Amino acid sequence: MYVVPQKMNCFLVLLILLTLFLIAFSLSSEDDHHLVIVPQSPNLEIGTNFTATCVILNSTEVSADDLYWKLSENIVPKEQYTKINKTALNVTVLVTGEKLEWLYCLCKRDVGSLEKGTFIHGIALKKGYRPGKPENLSCMAVQEKHFISNAFRCQWDAVGQQSRDVSTLYQLNVDVTKIRAYNVTTREKHAQVDFVDSFPNHVILEVWVEAHNKLGTIHSEHLYKYADSFVKTNPPSNVQVTSEKSFTTSLLINWTHPIANVFLKLMYQIRYCQNGSQNWTYVPRDDTARDIQSFRLQNLNPYTVYVVQVCCKNHKKGYGYWSDWSTNATKRTPEDIPNKPDLWRIIAEGDGINQVQFICKGPLTNERITRFNIKVQDQRDKLKNGSLAPESIPINRSDSGPFTVLKQIRLADRESVKVFVTAVNSVGISAEESLVITEKACEPPPVRELRVRPDGGRLRLDWKPPHGTAVSEYVVEWISGDNTDWQRESRGTRHATIKGPLEKFVCYNVSVYPIYSGRVGKPATRAAYLEQGAPLEAPDVRLKGKPGHNEAELVWMEVPQTRLRGFITNYTVFYKGGTETREITVPADSTSCTLKSLRRNTKYDTWIQASTINGSTNSSKHSFTTLIYAPGEMEGIVVGVSFGFLFLIIVTMLFCVYKKDVIKENIWPRIPNPLESTIGNWSPDYPLKVETPKDNGLCGVSLLDVEVGDGKCMFEEDKASLALKKDKYLSEEHSSGIGGSSCMSSPRQSVSDSDEGGDMADTTASTVQYSSVVASNGYKGQTPNTQPKQAVFSRSESTQPLLDSEENPDTLLQECSRQSQRVPRGPRPTHTQRNGDIMEQQEELEPLDFCSLEEDCEQVTPTDSSYMPQLVGYRPQ
Amino acid sequence: MNGHVKSMRFQQFMEPATTLLSLLLVMAVDSSRAAAANRNQQCVNSLQRTLKLARLVQKESVDLIRTYKASQGVKAELLCEASFKYIPNINISGLESWERLLSIYAHLWDFFPHFKRVYEQQVDLQPPASPLLAELSRSGGGRRNLASLISSFYQSLFPNLPVPEPAGGPTALPSPQNVFHQKVYGCEVLRTYKDLVSNVCRELKTLKSKVCQRRKRVNPLLPEAGRTPRVMNNRMTDFER
Repeated sequence: MYVVPQKMNCFLVLLILLTLFLIAFSLSSEDDHHLVIVPQSPNLEIGTNFTATCVILNSTEVSADDLYWKLSENIVPKEQYTKINKTALNVTVLVTGEKLEWLYCLCKRDVGSLEKGTFIHGIALKKGYRPGKPENLSCMAVQEKHFISNAFRCQWDAVGQQSRDVSTLYQLNVDVTKIRAYNVTTREKHAQVDFVDSFPNHVILEVWVEAHNKLGTIHSEHLYKYADSFVKTNPPSNVQVTSEKSFTTSLLINWTHPIANVFLKLMYQIRYCQNGSQNWTYVPRDDTARDIQSFRLQNLNPYTVYVVQVCCKNHKKGYGYWSDWSTNATKRTPEDIPNKPDLWRIIAEGDGINQVQFICKGPLTNERITRFNIKVQDQRDKLKNGSLAPESIPINRSDSGPFTVLKQIRLADRESVKVFVTAVNSVGISAEESLVITEKACEPPPVRELRVRPDGGRLRLDWKPPHGTAVSEYVVEWISGDNTDWQRESRGTRHATIKGPLEKFVCYNVSVYPIYSGRVGKPATRAAYLEQGAPLEAPDVRLKGKPGHNEAELVWMEVPQTRLRGFITNYTVFYKGGTETREITVPADSTSCTLKSLRRNTKYDTWIQASTINGSTNSSKHSFTTLIYAPGEMEGIVVGVSFGFLFLIIVTMLFCVYKKDVIKENIWPRIPNPLESTIGNWSPDYPLKVETPKDNGLCGVSLLDVEVGDGKCMFEEDKASLALKKDKYLSEEHSSGIGGSSCMSSPRQSVSDSDEGGDMADTTASTVQYSSVVASNGYKGQTPNTQPKQAVFSRSESTQPLLDSEENPDTLLQECSRQSQRVPRGPRPTHTQRNGDIMEQQEELEPLDFCSLEEDCEQVTPTDSSYMPQLVGYRPQ
Repeated sequence: MNGHVKSMRFQQFMEPATTLLSLLLVMAVDSSRAAAANRNQQCVNSLQRTLKLARLVQKESVDLIRTYKASQGVKAELLCEASFKYIPNINISGLESWERLLSIYAHLWDFFPHFKRVYEQQVDLQPPASPLLAELSRSGGGRRNLASLISSFYQSLFPNLPVPEPAGGPTALPSPQNVFHQKVYGCEVLRTYKDLVSNVCRELKTLKSKVCQRRKRVNPLLPEAGRTPRVMNNRMTDFER
């Protein structure tokens, strides 16, 4: 019996010793550290400044000046330090980021390796946000069996952020006033408290949520309400619908309170719809916002199955929650005699004879009409159907169109009939409906100022009644394609909304017919869209005819109505030539457009854009190319040019005729007789008579032009003749310099070259020098005489060009001298530079052929050219 | 001259002062009437709320006795015809309304130990899922809330007086019994409790028609000198089943 206590005592002693050891160890270990940061393990709000103090303990080796701070891996700048005293240093850092960071206090002075580890201290910075004030607190207690559950559930919205290190807890507090308080803590945004014993009915509850974390606490708004305000009951139970045969448009609903009135009084809401439909009709809440257990639905359709649902809540406004809807309760209303048939007509107009269809809405499924009785009577008391008895139209139930065609008749414009229709079902016969189709000429006046516009997803009509006549009712008819529908409006109606289902982007022709005691008046009609959209397609554009040189006419067909989806506001024709795109906007009723100011011979892409108020659509592109010339333009040019040319010819001819002498003077100038010319310097001792080449035997001798500086091209035997050249005397060479431009002047014929080349250029421009140098030493290749004959130099000061025929009748010699025209060996500065072109022409025109002596001799006729350059020289005078 | 001027000035001062005083008097009367009306409305509301809860408790008591009888077997009617001597008095005593309120409060308080005893007995007699146990448990809440509302109502009538505390001392409970006696005792407790709650409802209806309106003229509930009600804790967390 004593063993166990002794063991327990030993254990307790050991435990105490261990604790003391740990404490001592921790104290001694604390003593080893000389730096301590205050505060320890702080929780910091992100976005605020945090100030920590590093204190030096039990050491005089270091001072506050030797300390520095590190935040994680970064040294904190000294600007953030504050020295408190010799042993304490503050640092202030901005708390950023949610991640946990370490703040270290260190010593930068070397205090020895043994103690180095004791001059460091760090704290963990846990960061977070202050808790946000919880919002939208709401609580609920639901019904359980026949009382309110004592589970009280609340939810709220958390506000603000949370970090991982500083999380927020929520405490839901429910204070049953002066009785008991409940609370529960959670990290979620919802919680539940369970009341002891039972739900505190009729007692005030105070509910709030307290959000708290390490950085603070905040309360939500306090809900201070009666407990009933939080109750959501079950839906009403045992909902039953009763049908009473005598009330064909009414159903009686009964239900049971889901909970006893002593818990809370309820108000109800009822909704119903036809079976299969989800279009619920809600009974006005004022009618059911009472503690009731039954309600009678009225204005229902006969013989129709209705679905009814009921829900409830605390009868006080703002108290409690609506329960779920009860399960469906279905019932069919009793069958009734049919309503008066909704009779109307469709008229297909012809040439004087119209096809008239009498139609009737329905039959409605709830009326179970078995047949219609129709009687057509003309206004002159003549029965159209040939009998006084009404015609019976049985109803085919498989034909479920929007209306039933009762009868079709042919009616002339000037005829008038009255139709009587009744509907029959198993319960009885409906009231009779009649309609009068009057003569066209006698139709009563239409309504005035009809306007149709979309309004809130429906088409709204406004009109004014016709003048001076008593309208009994109006029929609003709307037609889209082959679909016709109508509705009736009372006589006092000025505004109506089409109740039937309408489709968007479909054009409806809406007509208002005034009905005068069954007589159908003239309609007023407008086209309207419930909603317009961009056209589905734009018209295809094409060229009308061929394009012109600067214009083209485009045509297009109107888009079918079903593809328009709206009223066309305008068409925009685009045409693009090259990079330039232009456009023309034309009215909506246009079907053609002429493009003008086009460029010639340019390919144009064109397309059309059809626009409605809600969008546009482009057509496909059509390309064409404009013409180069306008029609007739080419012919005009040809004719014009022809006439011009003809005119020029005529003018030329007339000029030639009238200015014959002038032309002759210019073209065939009169060459002055050299014999009559005055020679500046004559050598009287020298015989002027020059032997003809023939006589001198120069015919057939090829002459080579030998240049002064071209010594290497000369024969050795010719070197002796250099003296001649130096004296500007060249045997067998004839120079005829005619300025610098004469085609008749061959540069190689100029002897006044070489040194005087520059002077020549100056003088030949103004003065033509005729010179003839005749050498007596024969032709090249022969050794000149040692004593050359005195050269004769003649010069004429005349500027008149020489005519070969006149100058030298011995053209034969000239022709023969062609052989003397050698291939130029090099440039001749004096002539080639000035008359290079001419040189080239001459070289081209004058093939460098050498004719044989015999051939040349036989060539006695003059050359084609009537004007030949003077080669041989002047006729001896 | 000066005296005349002074008199004139005094008269000039008196006229607006009189008007102002009259206005203040009217406002004071009106505000006192409004305050009285407001207090009266609060009285009515508080009493109505109390009455609602009393009706709920009454319904629960009726359901409870029905459930009790159903859960005791075929001889339930016979059991409930027998009498038991340890049942608390349910007569609401007192001549004045405030006395009767205190009496109601005290009787409700008296039933807590009895219900606790019945519950303990029925736990042994009924299966755990018995609806009787749940209803017995749930009835404590209604009773506690009703006692609290009556206390609040009393406090609203006498805001400057401490709320009366129920009579202290041990409640006389029956000594250990056999099963038959337990069942008789339970039925007797529930039936008596139902009668008490019925009396409470009746009493509250009477108070509704008298107390809130009579307080306008003279407060009939003011306790006489030397009859200060006993003080109790505001919060009734000490209530036991």
